[in-house]
Parts: sequence; structure tokens; C-alpha cells
Amino acid sequence: MTTILADTARATVAPELSWLGLVLILPLASAALCALCGAFRCKSKLPAWITVVALAASFGLVLKAYFGYAGPVEIPIFEWINFSWGEGGRFQSFVADCALYVDSLTLFWMLFVTGLGTLIALYASEYMEGDKGTGYSRFFFGISIFLFAMSSLVMGDNLVMLYLGWEGVGLASYLLIGYDYHRPSAVAAAKKAFIVNRIGDLGLALGIFMLWANYGTLQYDELFAAMNAGGQSSIDWDIAVIPFLIMLGAFGKSAQFPLHVWLPDAMEGPTPVSALIHAATMVTAGVYLIARMFPFFELHPDALATVAWIGTGTALLAATIGMMQHDIKRVFAYSTISQLGYMFMGLGVGTSFGACYHTFTHAFFKALLFLTAGAVMHGFAGQLDLRKLSGLRRMPGWRIVSWTMFIGCLWLAAFPLTAAFYSKDAILLAALTSPRWDFVLLGWVGLFTAALTAYYTFRVWFRVCAGPVHVEMGSDGHHAPADPHDTHGHGTQTSHAHAEGPHAPRWAINGVLVVLAVGAIAAGIPSYLEIMAHVPNWVQTMIANSSASQGAGLLEAHAAAHDGHHSTVLGMDPHTGLAIIGTIASVGGISVAFFFHLYSRASADRLLSWLRSRSLVGWIPGAMEHKWYIDEIYHALVRLPLWIGAQVLSLGDKHFLDGAIVDGMGKLPMAIGKLFRPLYGGGLQGYAVTMVGGLGLVLAWVTWVWLRGHT
Amino acid sequence: MALIWLSIILPIAAALGVAVSPTRHARWIALAGTLASLAVLAVVAWQFPDWTTGKHSPSTEAPAWIPRAGISLSVGFDTVSLLLALLTALLMPLCILGSFSAITERVREYYGWFLVLGSSIILAFAARDAILFYIGYEFTLLPMTIIIAVYGGTERRVAAIKMFLYTFLGSMFMLAAILYVAWEHRVVSGVWTFDIDTLTATGVRLPAATQYWLFAALMIGFAVKVPLFPLHTWLPLAHDQAPTAGSVILAASMLKLGTYGNYRFALPMAPAGGVELMTVAAVLSIAAIIYASLICWVQTDAKKLIAYSSVAHLGLCMLGLFALNPVGAEGAVFYMVNHGVSTGALFLCIGMFYERYHTKDTDVLGGLAKRMPVWACFMVFFTMASIGLPGLNGFVGEFLCLGGTFIAEHDVQSGFPGLLGPWYAIVAGLGLILAAMYLLILLGKIVWGPLRVPHTSSHGHSESPSTLTVDINGREIATLVPLAVACLWLGLQPKPMLDAIAPCTQRMLEHYPALVERHRQVETPRVADARDPLAKETTP
Repeated sequence: MTTILADTARATVAPELSWLGLVLILPLASAALCALCGAFRCKSKLPAWITVVALAASFGLVLKAYFGYAGPVEIPIFEWINFSWGEGGRFQSFVADCALYVDSLTLFWMLFVTGLGTLIALYASEYMEGDKGTGYSRFFFGISIFLFAMSSLVMGDNLVMLYLGWEGVGLASYLLIGYDYHRPSAVAAAKKAFIVNRIGDLGLALGIFMLWANYGTLQYDELFAAMNAGGQSSIDWDIAVIPFLIMLGAFGKSAQFPLHVWLPDAMEGPTPVSALIHAATMVTAGVYLIARMFPFFELHPDALATVAWIGTGTALLAATIGMMQHDIKRVFAYSTISQLGYMFMGLGVGTSFGACYHTFTHAFFKALLFLTAGAVMHGFAGQLDLRKLSGLRRMPGWRIVSWTMFIGCLWLAAFPLTAAFYSKDAILLAALTSPRWDFVLLGWVGLFTAALTAYYTFRVWFRVCAGPVHVEMGSDGHHAPADPHDTHGHGTQTSHAHAEGPHAPRWAINGVLVVLAVGAIAAGIPSYLEIMAHVPNWVQTMIANSSASQGAGLLEAHAAAHDGHHSTVLGMDPHTGLAIIGTIASVGGISVAFFFHLYSRASADRLLSWLRSRSLVGWIPGAMEHKWYIDEIYHALVRLPLWIGAQVLSLGDKHFLDGAIVDGMGKLPMAIGKLFRPLYGGGLQGYAVTMVGGLGLVLAWVTWVWLRGHT
Repeated sequence: MALIWLSIILPIAAALGVAVSPTRHARWIALAGTLASLAVLAVVAWQFPDWTTGKHSPSTEAPAWIPRAGISLSVGFDTVSLLLALLTALLMPLCILGSFSAITERVREYYGWFLVLGSSIILAFAARDAILFYIGYEFTLLPMTIIIAVYGGTERRVAAIKMFLYTFLGSMFMLAAILYVAWEHRVVSGVWTFDIDTLTATGVRLPAATQYWLFAALMIGFAVKVPLFPLHTWLPLAHDQAPTAGSVILAASMLKLGTYGNYRFALPMAPAGGVELMTVAAVLSIAAIIYASLICWVQTDAKKLIAYSSVAHLGLCMLGLFALNPVGAEGAVFYMVNHGVSTGALFLCIGMFYERYHTKDTDVLGGLAKRMPVWACFMVFFTMASIGLPGLNGFVGEFLCLGGTFIAEHDVQSGFPGLLGPWYAIVAGLGLILAAMYLLILLGKIVWGPLRVPHTSSHGHSESPSTLTVDINGREIATLVPLAVACLWLGLQPKPMLDAIAPCTQRMLEHYPALVERHRQVETPRVADARDPLAKETTP
């Protein structure tokens, strides 16, 4: 393992590449311009075009960097938090500069972050047009900040830069999820997203401190070198705890159990925001973080296993919840959590390639799915209930939406020959052929979850796009607030305009959907080439030259040792076996969905009511619908006790500490004074002595400590 | 030195001018006086020769004031005190500007006392003589008491008296400690002096047991001002009752006298005592963070919420100082300035809606983003700065304070062993989550959500004849913009300031590494001693 690390080339410092800094600066400039547009009450689509152009330019720059890539580089931009003492150097300086670290993992991530970001911004230019004015500017301000934060997260050359982006996406998501700020549910969802993320952020921050404490630096390149030099596989708990702290941060940002609760609520934001959060930015940050810090996950033997277990558990948990949701966006939201679970499972079982590949394919089809859901929502006045929409593909103007959604669903269901089939395969294969029995078990759970995924995905499509034409419009236009200038949802004006009937999407939305569908298909090309022409998988080569590959090396070492007794899946060659089982899972799930949600929709209800009537399992469908009551459990176990404690403290502060002790002791001398000589009239002296009370408390403690220290 | 005195005297001169001029001119004279003081301090900063040395400037001998007692008029800055004085001088004109519409009665007295307040704070930061420091430190209380007691809310008298007596009593401890050290110096050298550097050198040489009490006394004196749990109860009341500008100065500058006092006196003067008491002080700081944060969560009064959040934030700041390493100390000093900027701005923002709706109750008021979008932008911005969002100023201090605390135990190569460690940072770090919670709840109530305004006065106009607009006006924007720029600038370019602070903090910490080392050696073998009777005899 160490030898593989040693082979990794140290990054070269390349100030001449500082033009790459524009990838960060362009979205920031775009945010500033959007803010100006808002300040000057711009009523046109100008903010959208500024954002789209800036993001497209960023994408272009990343492409340029990709084609000119010749090994990892560090690009200094300016000094940020940077000071030293003593002789400087490691352990005697705290350096977190604004600098970029570009290796193939960075480029791989940036390609789809900026690419998809551009497409989503373009889509939003049409989607948000009902809000033209300050709301429109505010929205694109948020999008620009989002992309800036994500870019600095991925491109930063040290963990504090990553932390800047890490919290920055938190801010952007807060602003965008709470975009409809007059709706209390949106405000609550925004708050929840930020706070739950903050819990993870604390873990990451502590992990960063622990890294500094043990390696004296926070720059990736130096960290990897320092780790390489020694201290690895130490049993010292404070080194071993590093991966667990970092993983807490990753779980928060990537919505893994137990910190997944914010993501489903995040769909309160306008749909392009959901697409941005779920596909390209934010949730993939956790995967990136673990991939980036992969070498440190070998510091503790159980670190990666924990990631695998949590990932698989989350995948299954979210899939079961997704099966029972009626809101299209909510189904897709849980599918995101579930798919992220697969990515973490991949990381955990050691195939950072599989995890990154799945992130890549997922980014396309999930963006596609959310944007089709958004188109539906946009067209039907906010209607998202899959029980109230049917037969969309037969309606005029909805063909593109229906069929691109079909592609997205096929990909999410990991249908054979789709890109997601291969990427999921890579993860499951690694799990099933692992020498660890528990990973094999996780692999089977993953396969089972894949069948569930296929079921709930096509439940949506068969309900919404297939079947007889039947649509109930949403209520967005009807109970519009009294204030006519209210910036509302995804456009009060448009909702008003088509309150009578649906309106089909136009070029920006349709165009983006088609491009994304093509992208989703194209995401499979690396695998097609690998299988047919034996070209090394492009994603694999991108990952292989980065810090994330070190774990893969570990896996290969395992696999090599393992080849002796040739692992099999159900007695077959693992590749063939998995392809067959995966196909069965996917097709099986789709078939079940076909039966219950297209062929005989009534039987689904019958089955459900039968299930509910059973005493032993009757509670399960309800629990799934209510997300296994996890929110309620958190409320009861964490929030409520804390809140009660806070109330007690607040009252205690007012009535006990200030009231009884401070004021009360103030009255004591007055009482004594009255006893002897009622001379002192006012409360002044009283207060003076009361203060002694508070001081006395501290003095007593000080004395106690002193006594303890000197005996 | 003359320039420094000028910056202190100018506001007082302006106060005299206010006293003798007609009411309608008062605010402009006050504004001019504070701006002049700021300009003079800016010149001082521009000419300041010791940005990177950590020394005091000017270092020349000052004229004696009371020669027999060794009290001099010596003033001078190191970078830390200069930054804090600059912060005060920057906030003064903004506070005056922010008071234009809020103060309509007894206008001349208000501005007069406000100017005196500014002078005395700058004097306290600039003083090189302990007695001069004490004068500035205590004198701030008088104008602040008057500002609260006359211009405050319904419980203003109680609040003002409580603040005065509580902090006055606290500073008695501090004064006693300083007098004791001066006396010790007199015993050794035969002359009286109150020069801070000399006293510090004297304090360091005192026996450890004496230093223990010295540190405790200084610590208590300044802890009341910071304020540190459980000595904080005067603060929420004072903030709640004070007029907006009073709250701003109270939070941004006066509380900094407490943290500055720890930096200037308690830590360097009695390091041997500090080492003994460091864990106690750190536990109190952490208690302040968690305790105040939880109380913030259930506060419905916006101003009290920010007041309690000050207790929590400064608890973290103190924790950074107690980490005893450069990372923590840098963070703490940086945080002193940052807290002033962002909390001051938040108090200004709250004052702006209070002037319009005459309530700070977040249950009554809400959804102001709809009616005051410009104000809402600033409010969200400063809240994010206060939460500690990276890229804004709060982050740098917060991250370094917490980081310094965390790494204090891991000192193998850093050369600065500390007594805190990961567990302190983990518990204190919970404060970051709580901070996000209570501040976002505040935002969620007053900025976002459906519009809710009190029925009695939906428009501020009806009650006050001032020129308040629905959203904030140009004057109010002008008070906030400098602070917003400072937030961004300090957040993105902290390097110059960090470099300036670094040598000062290292000077402050110079005696600690050896003492901590010794302390640890005493602490760890104690277990072994119990088993070894011979070793026990030798240990006192």
C-alpha cells in the first residue's frame, strides 16, 4: 500500500495555470452581477444569461484544462489564512491559501459540475421566468454562489478551501431552498438543510484539526506526502479517528443515514435547485471528500467498512421509503439518497472507481429526472401527485418530457446496457467478490435494493406518463397570496395564465432535457468501449492518477490474492453472474411496477389494503410512507429534550442565577441593614453585594481547584 | 504620542462643542468629532512602525502625571490594541449616524455622553500605564450608564444600575491585583511605577502561589466584562434596555475591554497562575458557549438573543486565548475585531426595524423581507458573518479559536504546548451547530415567512415624526455598508491582520511553553508518586 502511495507523483507548482482561477471567479462575478441586477430592479432575463454565460465559460476552461492535463498541479492564487511562528514549515504554520489543486479527480468532478450547472441554469432561465424581477436575480445569485462554492470545494488545494466550499454550498442551498420565503415550509426546509449540514460540518472541522495536529499541514499534497512518510496504520486513537470525523462531514453533505433527513425536504426549493443539489453539486461533495481523502480511510480498519455499511443501509432505507411516496419529486429525492448509498457502499468496499463512475452517471440521469419532474410541475400548476397525473405521453407537447423521463427512469432502474447498469455493476461486483463476508452480504442487499429501485422508479413513469390521459391541475394558481407582487413559487403569473389547462414546455426546457438524455446515454460510452474495444475505462483512468486510486490499489491487491481461489457469484464468472442477476433484478422490478401501476392499478390498492389489514406487517406500509418516523424520532430524542433544557436554562438564568442569586443576595444586606439600622434606602448597595454572590461562586471554585492542586 | 492623545481628546472637544451649541447642530458636531478622531487614528495606523515586530509604539517615555506615585500619561499601541482602537473609532461615527432618528429628546446630552464614551474606550486601549488604563476602563461605565438609564427601555434604571455596579465591582478585583503588583515592584526596586510592561515583568517573577491569586483576581475582574458564565447576567438586561447605538458600542467595544484585559494583563502578568487555572477558565468559557447558545434558542426578543449570542461568541474567543498556542491566540484576537463588526452590525439592523415597529418580539414581528428587502439583505449577510460562514470575517476567528483549542495537546513540533485538547474543542464545537440554529431561527422568524407586523403601528411614521421610510433609507444603508465591506475584506484577506497580530500573541505567550511543560510533568507523575513514597516526599 505504502509503495503505491510512494509512486504517486508530488504535485508541481504551476503559477502559469492561474487562469484556472477563473473557474472560481466567473461564478462569483456572475453572483455579483446578479446582485447588481437585483439592486437595480432588472426586469429582463439578464441575470439568467449572465449566469449561463459565466458557467459555460467555466465549463470551457475546465475542458481546456482537461485537454492540457499533464499531471497534478498546485496553482497558487492568493494567500488566505496564512501565518507562521517559530521557524515556519509544517507544525509551525497554519496555511490555508486560496490555491487550486488540480489532478484528474478534480477535473473529472469539475467536468460534470460545471457542465450540468450550465444546463440547469439554462433550464431555469425558462422555468423561473414567472418571477422576473428581484426574485429572478436572487435565484440566479444563488445558483452562481452554488457553483462558486462547489468549484472551490472541488478545486481547493487544502481542506480549509474545501471547507469554504463545503459551507458555501450550505449557504447557497439555504438561500435557494428557502427561495419561496413566504412559505413557512420552505423556510423550515432551508433551515433544516443548513443545520443538519452543520452537524456534519463540525465533524469535518474536527477532522481537519486532527489532521493538522498529526501532520502539521492541511494541503493535500503535503498531507499525502506526510502520511506516506509515517504515522500510517498507527493504533493511536487520535490518528485512527480521522476517517470517522471526515466521514461524518461526508454523511451530512451527501445525506446518508443518520443525517439524511434534510434532503427530501430540500425539494421545497424550485425544481432546478433540486436538480442542482441532487445531481451535480452538494450531495456529490461527500463522495468527493472521501475519494479525495481515501488514503486516510486506511488509518483504521473499520473506517471503510463503516462507510460501506452506512451506505448500503441508507440505500435500502431510502428505497423502502421511496416506494411509498406519492409526490414525484419526493420519490426522486429518496432515490437520490438511495443512489448515494450505493456510492458510499462502493467507496466502502474499496472501489473508488465504481463510486465515482456511479456519481458520474447518476449526475446525468438524476438531473434529467428532476428537470422532467419540474417540467410537469411547471406545466400543471404545481401538481406532483402521481395519483393525479396519468397518460402524459399521449398529451400534445409532452412527448419529449415523457420519453426523456423514460430514459431517466431506465437509467435509474439500472436497466441492462445503460450506463448506470455498468456503474452499479462495478460497485456490486466489488462487494460480491470481496474476501470479507459482510461485504458480500452488503452486495446482496444492494442487489435487492436495485430491484426495489426499478420498482419505485417505474411506478412513477407508468403512473404519470403511461395509461389513460387524466390530469388534475395543481393548486398553485388558486390560493395565490393576496399580495399581487408576491414572488411566488415557480411563477404566480404563469400559474395564473394556465390555471385553466396545462402548458407544454418550450425550447429551453425541452432542449436541456434532450441534451441531458443524450448525456445520460453517452455516460455509458466508457463501458461500451471497455467491453467491445477493450479500451481502458475513461473514468478508471481519471481516478487512477489521483489520491482516490490508492484505495483501488488496495482492492486490486486483495483481488489478486483472491484470484487464487477464484471468486464466483452463484457459481458463475463474477461478471457474467452479476450481469444476469442485475438484469433479473431490474427487469423484475419493472415488471412488478408494470403490473401494479399500469396493467391493473386497482390491484395495487387491493394489495395495499390487504397488507394494511394484517396485524403483523400492517404497520409497515404506513411507516414507509412516514419515512420510518425518523424525523419524529429525532424530534422526540434530540430536539425536544434540548428545547426543554433550553427553556429551563432560560428561566433559570432569569429567575435563579440573576433573580435569586444576584438580586436575592442584593436584598440580603438590605434585610440585615433593616435589622440593624434602616439607613440604606436604595437598592444600590444591595446590588453591589449581590454581585459578590456571582463572584463568590467563581472564587469558591478557584479555591477548590487550588486546594486540590496544592495538597 | 501626541497624535494618539489627539484622537482621544477630539471626541471630548466635540462633546464640549455639543454642550454649547444648539440642539439641531449636535449630531453633526458629534459626527465630525468622531470622524476626526477616526482620521487621526488612521494616520497613527498609517505611520505605525511596528506592524510586524509586536512591540509598542511609540516607546518613548511619557510625561509623568503624578510622579510620586509613578503614574504617567504614557499612551501607545501594539497592533492588537491599535486594531481594537480602530474598530472603536470606526464604529463611533456609524453609531452617531445610526442614532439620528432614534434619539429625539435630550439630544445634546446624548451625543455629548456618547463622545465621552468613545474617548474613554480609546484611552483604555491606548494606555501604557495601568492606572491610565483603569481610568479609561472605569470611565466608560459612567456615560454608558447614563445612556442606558436615560435613553433606554422600560426597565432602563435597573439595567443601568446593575451594569454599573456589577462591572464596577468586578474591576475592583482587577485594580487590587494591579496595585499589589505595583507594590511588589516597589518592594523590589524601591520606586513606584504603573508602566504595564514593567508590571508584567514583575508579575512574572512572583512566586507561583502568588501568581495564582493574581491571575484569579485579574481573571475575575475581566471575566465580568467579557462576560464569562456565570457572571454574565448584567449583559442581556443592559443590551435589552440600551438604545441601539449603546448596544453596538457595548457589544463591539466595551466587552472587548474584557477580552483585551485578559490578553494584556491576566495572561502575561501571571503565567504561572494561568497555567494552574487554565482548565477552570476554559471550562467556564465552554459553559458560556453552550449555556448562552441554548438560551438563545428559546429567546423571543431579538436583541436579547444577540446579547446572549455575544456571551457565547466571546466564550469561544476566550477559549482561543486559553489554548495558549499561536493558532488559538491569533484566532482570539482576530475574533475580538470580528465580533465587534458583525455583532455591532446585527444590533444596528435590529435597531432599524425596532425604530419602525417598536417591538423586538420575534413572535409579533416577522416576514420583513417582503417589506424591507434591502434591510433583509444586510440582515442575512451579517447573520451569516456571525454564524461563521467561510469567506466572511467570523469564520477565520472561530475556526482558529476552535482549532487552537483542539490541537493544544498535540504540541510535539509546534513548540507551544497547551492544556486544552480535543474534548474541549468537541464540546465547544457544538456551539457552532447551536449558533446556526438560533441565528437561522431568528432569520426564519423576522426576515422570512409571511409578513407579520404589530397592529398598533404598522408604520413607524405614525408615531415618530422622523423621516423613516418603509425600507431602510440612504443614511441607514451608509451605516451598514462600511461594516459589510469590513466583513468581506477581513473574511477574504485576513492575512495582513493575522501577520500583524502574530508577533503580539507570541509575546503574550512567551512564558507559557516552559510553564506548561513543567505543569504537565507535575501532573502526570502524580499518579506514579502515589506508588513511590520516596518520590512523594520530595514533591512539595
